[in-house]
Amino acid sequence: MKGAAGAWERAVVVGAFLALPLALFTLGVMLVVTALQAGLWTNMHALEAAGLVLTTRSLNLPDGTTLPYVAAAQVREGSAAAALGIARGDVLVEAGGRAVDRPLAAWSSLAALPGRTLEVPLRWVPRAEVLLGTLQVRWEEGQARVVLAAPAPLAMGQGLHPGDILLGVNGTPVTGTRQAWEALVTAARTGAVPAELTVRRGEVSLVLLFDPRREGELPVERNVWRAWARFLTRIGDPRYPEQAGLLPALLGSLGVVLVMALVAFPLGISAAVYLEEYARTSRLTALLELLVASLAGLPSAVLGLLGLEIFARAFQLGRSILAGGFTLSVLILPLVIITSREALRTVPKTLREAALSVGATPWQTVRYHVLPYALPGVLTGVVLSLARALGEAAPLLLLGAFLYVNYAPQSLRDTFTVVPIQIFDWATRPQDGYAVVAACAILVLLVLVLLLNALAILLRARFQRRWAE
Amino acid sequence: MTHSWEEMENPVLAVQRFSAWYGKNQVLRAVSLDIPEHKITAIIGPSGCGKSTLIRAFNRMNDLIPGFRAEGAILFRGLNIYGPKVDPVEIRRRIGMVFQKPNPFPKSIFENVAFGLRVNGFRGNLRERVEWALRRAALWEEVKDDLHRKSGYDLSGGQQQRLCIARALAVEPEVLLLDEPCSALDPVATAKIEDLLRELSSSVTIVIVTHNMQQAARVSDYTAFLLLGELVEFGPTREIFTRPKDPRTEAYITGRFG
Repeated sequence: MKGAAGAWERAVVVGAFLALPLALFTLGVMLVVTALQAGLWTNMHALEAAGLVLTTRSLNLPDGTTLPYVAAAQVREGSAAAALGIARGDVLVEAGGRAVDRPLAAWSSLAALPGRTLEVPLRWVPRAEVLLGTLQVRWEEGQARVVLAAPAPLAMGQGLHPGDILLGVNGTPVTGTRQAWEALVTAARTGAVPAELTVRRGEVSLVLLFDPRREGELPVERNVWRAWARFLTRIGDPRYPEQAGLLPALLGSLGVVLVMALVAFPLGISAAVYLEEYARTSRLTALLELLVASLAGLPSAVLGLLGLEIFARAFQLGRSILAGGFTLSVLILPLVIITSREALRTVPKTLREAALSVGATPWQTVRYHVLPYALPGVLTGVVLSLARALGEAAPLLLLGAFLYVNYAPQSLRDTFTVVPIQIFDWATRPQDGYAVVAACAILVLLVLVLLLNALAILLRARFQRRWAE
Repeated sequence: MTHSWEEMENPVLAVQRFSAWYGKNQVLRAVSLDIPEHKITAIIGPSGCGKSTLIRAFNRMNDLIPGFRAEGAILFRGLNIYGPKVDPVEIRRRIGMVFQKPNPFPKSIFENVAFGLRVNGFRGNLRERVEWALRRAALWEEVKDDLHRKSGYDLSGGQQQRLCIARALAVEPEVLLLDEPCSALDPVATAKIEDLLRELSSSVTIVIVTHNMQQAARVSDYTAFLLLGELVEFGPTREIFTRPKDPRTEAYITGRFG
């Protein structure tokens, strides 16, 4: 007997020692990983603030492989990047002294540099017309020949003349105007620079050393606060992760949770008060309790379908914030009822008797005593359900909330997205940078939920009553 | 089970063949007795004899317990409080109650006493009335400086119970029910409450349940002895304790069981 009890006790201790560190470890790893990911956001934003929006492109090599490279997708007019001479279509090959093959590498190399304001050394290959000037194709002996009809100053400065025929780059034959530039990009990307240009000038063939890269130092200011402020307060551009904004999703979440709170809390608390204080134990109340418990166990996605049929279609609310809030309130209602009942049950029966015995009506007893004393517990439940509602994506997805909206919702009848759905959207995009942005949104959600839970614990600790013996 | 009292003038509460059940469990069996006005009536008996059920029947406090059912009548000044049109809230305003464990509200001393007045729509000087109730409960001198500063929970056990008495007295009930009011108190606090009850009995009818026979003997004018839900004997306290008619009463008061 004694030995068996000892074994059980050990099992419990071992279980606790496994479960608690596992929970802590999971939360810790998640926090660290997301924080590390999200840390790149400042650098992405810093580069974007300097005018440079990056994208991944790739070119096909003669051997059949593809070579990815980083192109400037947008260069803002009047920005530091524009002042440096970088323009849309230019190829970034080096940043901060490191070769870059994709935008993530550029942002990472920026992250590796110290300091708040910094001059980032960049090397880039200008687009064809700036690098080489006007090219023409001439047919000679059944072959296309690329002629530098009007070389750009950059080309002239490295010894090319008008009328030169470009035959090859680093031994690769040049067969077209676009391909000539791509061969130079390949040379720059693979580090085979200066490139050896085979040129025919008149009757003479010559080999020229040519560096297609330009270089300069881009002044960048790395400001964590500004980066996050922009992220949280702008609508954003869906095409580029550097220009992502969480504002529509935040407003959507706020609206949905607000509607949910206005519906679920009064109804849920009323139901709890009725079940605890008024209802006599009967089959009806037993049935009600069964229903509430079952509702709490329903998969949230199923509730999304219910919301779609009832609120969006039958009530003709569409995919609006209102419909989303109503759907979430069905989800949260049982939670509020159950936690509120627990809180009401902690108020000793003797206090109800005390109030009733001086001639208070049942309602006065509830209104002036039971409910106020149970309030901290009720509020704890309320705050916890707020956190739960904030993190729900599945029911709203099924309701038909959008993955992405490019406007801030103006009214409760507007279509919307919420933070968890926005995270889902960003996290599933393949382009560089969206993982970073998704991590940022996860951090925002995590911080909100942690704050709410901390508030719940604070409420419970602050208002916990010690009932008289 | 009838008794003839020469001294009993118009009873405040008349219990007539009153039976009570919790679910299928019968706890009172056709109890009949009259509670005289401005006297202290003690209900004694061993644990589980139904004395708490009986006293809680006087202000329909048992209504709160699921499965409670009653038969017979309890007349309060001629009106059956278990009648169909009777509002238990009104009954409880006129018949106050003090419970076994002190149960002050977790609010200020003032609010504890004022609550009954507020919910009963008292129009008058709230402060004066609260002071009056606290004075009657012999608590005023101890708490007059802390009325709003101290919570009911800050008081000692005996003070808490006197606060509960003040709370009950504030609405000027005609009857004050006390369900083992001293069971959680030390002897000094108990003595204070007993003195207080003697003083109050001149103006309020008091019914007290106690498991302490010495207490019944000390404070009460009449004593009812309950056993297994039946009223065994009811009469003036002196007679019950000196010349009990029923051998079971004698056995109980001499301490042979209970």
